[in-house]
Amino acid sequence: MKLHYYPGCTLKTKTTALDISTREAMKRLDIELVEPEGWTCCGAEYPLTEEKIVGLAAPIRTLRQVRDEGGDVVVTTCSFCYSVLKRANKAIRDDPLKHKRINAYLRNDIQIDPLTKERRTGFADYDGEVKVLHLLEYLRDRVGYPKIRERITRDFRGLPVAAYYGCRLLRPKEEMDFDEPDSPRIFEDFLETAGCAAVDYPFKQECCGSYLSVSLPDAATEASYRVLRSAKMNGAKAITVTCPLCFYNLDHRQEAIKAAYLDFPGLPVLFFTQILAWALGVDKELLGLGEHTVPADALFSEQPAPEVRT
Amino acid sequence: MRVKLKSGRDQRKFIERVEELSGENVFACYQCGRCSAGCPVAPEMDLLPNQIIRLVQMGLEEEVLRSKTLFLCASCFTCESRCPKGIDMARVMEAVRHILDPKGKDAFGPGEISPELAKELPQQVMVSIFRKFAK
Repeated sequence: MKLHYYPGCTLKTKTTALDISTREAMKRLDIELVEPEGWTCCGAEYPLTEEKIVGLAAPIRTLRQVRDEGGDVVVTTCSFCYSVLKRANKAIRDDPLKHKRINAYLRNDIQIDPLTKERRTGFADYDGEVKVLHLLEYLRDRVGYPKIRERITRDFRGLPVAAYYGCRLLRPKEEMDFDEPDSPRIFEDFLETAGCAAVDYPFKQECCGSYLSVSLPDAATEASYRVLRSAKMNGAKAITVTCPLCFYNLDHRQEAIKAAYLDFPGLPVLFFTQILAWALGVDKELLGLGEHTVPADALFSEQPAPEVRT
Repeated sequence: MRVKLKSGRDQRKFIERVEELSGENVFACYQCGRCSAGCPVAPEMDLLPNQIIRLVQMGLEEEVLRSKTLFLCASCFTCESRCPKGIDMARVMEAVRHILDPKGKDAFGPGEISPELAKELPQQVMVSIFRKFAK
């Protein structure tokens, strides 16, 4: 079956590991991912003031395109994309003023087909018809964990892995409505379905420093270190993320962390889709492991899954 | 001790503008300090999040606008999820940055990222920080 998939900017260039592993994993679940025609960057930040609503135009245009292609669901993996698309969608549904202003603006769009040069105008108003799901939600609610278990061909043999949620998946709670902000389970349940043992640790929903990574690198190094240390102290052999920026902060920053904290031994950082893809039998070469600063190859050692799983 | 907040026209204008932009009722805050207690960037700040909101309540625009804190908030919404009064502090911070916008230069603009660093950074983080800290 076909499923609309919004990769977002970073997955197409700097963090292709997340994109490739997502596609490969979904193929194994008989799902073909389709990108909405002409999608653009979502803007990364949902505008938080009432007057900066122009930031809603880009995500809503993408969602309208999904609807016009006949999609009722769009999945994303990046936490920032998920947050922006989901919050913009909710704003269009719940706020009549934003609905009116954004649609008044987008109605004048002109799309030109790159091949036929055909002009398309007169777009119908977008009312929030598309449902925005994170891939973790899609796997749990639409694919179902039992089906994933059936398809698993390789065994992680209970590898202790920490699930890292970070900021944008969970908060603000009412708008994201993803899981309990202080005691989430969805990521852990996913890891256990994939054959890992989910490590419980108190920093799973703390911030990694986010964009301060650019303006105040030391603060991001410190914040990332607190997360990594907490996971490590609780026995994790790897930490998993959904967001390219969490990945950058937790993985790339480990050089700076090791320089500041000489006793920190390092911890591999994985995307949740790399875990899924490998468990479903995807080749190691298709996991994008070359993009990692902290080597993660050793975690993926060949071991067939036992035939009977409980 | 009870404190009565008195403010003149200029102060009220600032407070109303913050409330209008953020959509938050800043007077709901009773200074419990949970926002500052959970803030991952608090050690770097000159004014803690609860102090910012207190200064907004008092209409002390200049003190708020010159604080480094506005450009240290990572919008991680930890404060939002813990506020017992349901205030989204990240929105208050954004509203104050919005008021500041036309008054100065970029707090963090594209010129501050070296070409070498730009090659390494995920696009997401550059889009994000310019949306937050550039005009």
